[in-house]
Amino acid sequence: MRIFPALMTHRFWPIALALGLLVSPLFGQPNEIRKSVARITNTMEDANYRLPWLPGAMATGSGTGWVVSPDRIITNAHVVSNARFLTIEKEDDPKKYIATVEHIAHDCDLAVLKVQDPAFFKNTKPLALGGIPELESSVAVFGYPIGGERLSVTQGVVSRVDFRTYTHSVLDSHLTIQIDAAINPGNSGGPVLQDGKVVGIAFQGFSGDVAQNVGYMIPTPVIAHFLKDIEDGHYDRYMDLSISITNTLNPAMRKGLGLADDDRGVMVSSVQSAGVCAGKLEIGDVLLAIDGHPIASDGMLELDGERVLMSEVAERKFLGDEVKLEILRDKQVMDVTVKFDHAWPFLMQANSYDVQPAYVLFGGLLFQPLSRNLLGAYQFQSDRVNYFYDNFVTKEIYKEHPEIVVLSAILPDPLNTYLGEFREGIVDEINDHKIRTLKDAANAFAEKPEFYVIKFIGHPRPLVLERIAVEAARERIRRRYNVLAEQNLSTAEFTSASR
Amino acid sequence: MMRRAFLLFTCLLFTTAQGLRAEDIQSEAPSSVVRVNVTNQPWDFVHPWGKRPPYSRRAIGTILAGNRVLVTAELVANANYVEFETAEGGQKVPASVEVVDYEANLALLKTDDLDFLKPFKPLELTPAKIGDVLSVWQLENNGALLVTKGPMTTAEVARYPADDSPLLVYRMTTPLQFRDSSFTLPVVKDGKLAGLVMRYDNTTNNAEVLPAPVIEHFLTDAKKAPYEGFARLGITSSPTRDPQFRRFLGLTADTPGGVYISDVLSDGPAAKGGVEPGDVLLQVDDRPVDQDGNYKDDEYGKIAITHLLSTRRYDGDVVKLTVYRKGEKKQLDVTLKHRPVESYVIEPYVYDHAPKFYVLGGLILQELSRQYLKEFGADWQKKAPEQFVYFDRQQNEVFKNGPKKVVFLNRVLPSDLTIGYEELNQLIVTKINGVSIQSLADVPGALEKASNGLHKVEFDGEPRFIFLDATAVAAAQESFRQKYRLPALQRLD
Repeated sequence: MRIFPALMTHRFWPIALALGLLVSPLFGQPNEIRKSVARITNTMEDANYRLPWLPGAMATGSGTGWVVSPDRIITNAHVVSNARFLTIEKEDDPKKYIATVEHIAHDCDLAVLKVQDPAFFKNTKPLALGGIPELESSVAVFGYPIGGERLSVTQGVVSRVDFRTYTHSVLDSHLTIQIDAAINPGNSGGPVLQDGKVVGIAFQGFSGDVAQNVGYMIPTPVIAHFLKDIEDGHYDRYMDLSISITNTLNPAMRKGLGLADDDRGVMVSSVQSAGVCAGKLEIGDVLLAIDGHPIASDGMLELDGERVLMSEVAERKFLGDEVKLEILRDKQVMDVTVKFDHAWPFLMQANSYDVQPAYVLFGGLLFQPLSRNLLGAYQFQSDRVNYFYDNFVTKEIYKEHPEIVVLSAILPDPLNTYLGEFREGIVDEINDHKIRTLKDAANAFAEKPEFYVIKFIGHPRPLVLERIAVEAARERIRRRYNVLAEQNLSTAEFTSASR
Repeated sequence: MMRRAFLLFTCLLFTTAQGLRAEDIQSEAPSSVVRVNVTNQPWDFVHPWGKRPPYSRRAIGTILAGNRVLVTAELVANANYVEFETAEGGQKVPASVEVVDYEANLALLKTDDLDFLKPFKPLELTPAKIGDVLSVWQLENNGALLVTKGPMTTAEVARYPADDSPLLVYRMTTPLQFRDSSFTLPVVKDGKLAGLVMRYDNTTNNAEVLPAPVIEHFLTDAKKAPYEGFARLGITSSPTRDPQFRRFLGLTADTPGGVYISDVLSDGPAAKGGVEPGDVLLQVDDRPVDQDGNYKDDEYGKIAITHLLSTRRYDGDVVKLTVYRKGEKKQLDVTLKHRPVESYVIEPYVYDHAPKFYVLGGLILQELSRQYLKEFGADWQKKAPEQFVYFDRQQNEVFKNGPKKVVFLNRVLPSDLTIGYEELNQLIVTKINGVSIQSLADVPGALEKASNGLHKVEFDGEPRFIFLDATAVAAAQESFRQKYRLPALQRLD
């Protein structure tokens, strides 16, 4: 199951990137551990969604990483996102080592780095992964909080284990461990140890007036899942069933679904047509068991002696794996096998990193695909844009519009001076071509009709541009607004500090 | 720039000077107004079986010919009790609402005590022009008239409190002072009523005035029974200023004006008269329509055609529209009709009658209205469920093929019947027992179609459906009513 959040309203923040020269006191800790924990400095460049032909703001930040295998550093994805230049330093070594991102997983906020100079790994020892620590047991958080140059170690107690939103992408939730140690910016990526083994990676805190001294770490099942996923040299992302379920606690509900009074089973209440269960499950099916684990009427099951959400079973899968479902359909018990043959494809509601914004500029009209990043860059007022964003998945808007192409801005020119009413409109058709993606729009604009007739959803009056007028204005607009390129259709991930 | 600054300066001087002169009139007894005391008690759309606590307001009513008193409709919305009170002496008499139009924001009040209004002098109506100096009347605590003057600055078609219906408003600048009974203040020119203050902004001193032509129209309509209300054409229009767009439409230099009809309300007057989306409206009767949808009014000059169609014309009038369609000019006869509020899928306002509801085993079912959405507070457009706000605003587009009304599950009153459903809320109900729900009135009939002893309730959203035990729901109704102390379990009219 994927959790589809609406606009973010919670108060988590990823810990990242503070600079400063605070000197932290050094605790007496086993030397091997200290030697294997390093400070990462990231010179990053944001994407520029307002002027997408230009680079965005630059900043420098720091976080923590540690040696996870003889030639690899692991850290949080948010520590090394949007990186242009990465350096890594050890406490007892004056040298700044140059690092590159080898794999980055924005859905679980983890990344592994390569260091160019093998000398970095001299005297380091990979830290071993442990299990899930007991509640109330104490752990030690290692890191370089608030930008300090000396390692800091803080003690904390494990207070809760549950599913939580990972704020780096904001769309994903995984197992998370809450500890009562203060986790501060700069701690991110640092190991949390118990009995000499890593039991988690510090990654986010909690800001607000209600809670203090609360920190969160990524537990070892999530770390191990990431490390196993990249073994084949490629990160395939987390798998999920892309369905939603409803409890079957109500006796009338159970009777209506043909269920016995045994507190078992959950009803399927939506099946995403772009997900792996499309065509396999139907609304109204009851899931009785997954991979042999009986599912309770509240959607929980028992796994390794713990009561967990049924989605935990899918969490442990990899691309190409299968899952066996026992279901009740029309009161008949059936077995259904679902293959995880692709990861969920529509991520526009997630924060995105390491990509150049896609856009098409035509006649001074800037068209961009709707995304969380775009919403952050523009304060759109249109209730339609917000409705399409929030319901993109739940109403399967992606079926008709895999990309929601928005007229996000207008660079004023005599050509477009009467077109203000179309700002924030969602493009539906251009010259009778259905616009499903930004590329469709670029193709339609590449044609040479007498008029370009752009139809927007829910806006019956079309926007009309005369071809000769567009051509006459083209150079003028490019020059006046210093437009370096009129379109970018490539959304391939890149960072100059990676791969 | 210079010119504008100069104008502003003279206006200021002017108001101050006129303000001083106001004292001359104060000695005059308020012979054409009474105080109107109203106790309002709105229905509670969140708990639709009940009402909110009552509150009282004092206003000024303008006495018109025929023993009637004019106030804004806002004042008497959900009124429980209305009384007149003489400004001097404080005599009171019960009164009642004779005619009310929430879209035009006007109401006529009357009293059975015919002698009460006899000593007063009814006001006549007069239109005002830009530049006229208008007097706003208020009452002091002792009953004396307080007059503040100011120039009328603008006449335009603008939004009225019932959002969907713009009509003519006057704007004036005047430094009004705060008084207790400042609702529905008369605006007077040369001893005649030019309008009623509808809104006032004390930071800019701008007053929005509900003008005499709208009042005149209302009074004419009020003579007929049943009251019809202001007619609408039922179109959405868009300017044709963009020369590229004009060339695209084929409009040549010999057709200088015309406004683009981007949408036509299905079953509205324009649709019935043959107007189609994409037509360009060139003329209404003998009045040319410009590129922005304005015409030249005899009284106000350039103003939106809404004024011509809604205020100058009446329900039942036939107007001749000249439209441009695919290279040809066409003449279409359109019979103007008022759009009754009940015809909206999501009604823009619900006053004076209780919200409908149906409690089904703890599931509170209601019909969606903007009145319900407004229960989410002043910023309801942000606070109310996003989908409902979107549907309300886009209802002509979203509900082209029904339903008649949107029935939704407001919330669940928990009981043993609804275990597992406690957190369901703000869900649109599409079907019950397989029967499509077009309005709340369809619910009782659908409940007779239970199968296998279960009611199946389907939603647009998640969960897609739930079941309720039909027998248990029927048996528990009375105990349920007592447990939550509900005065009734349903209201369908």
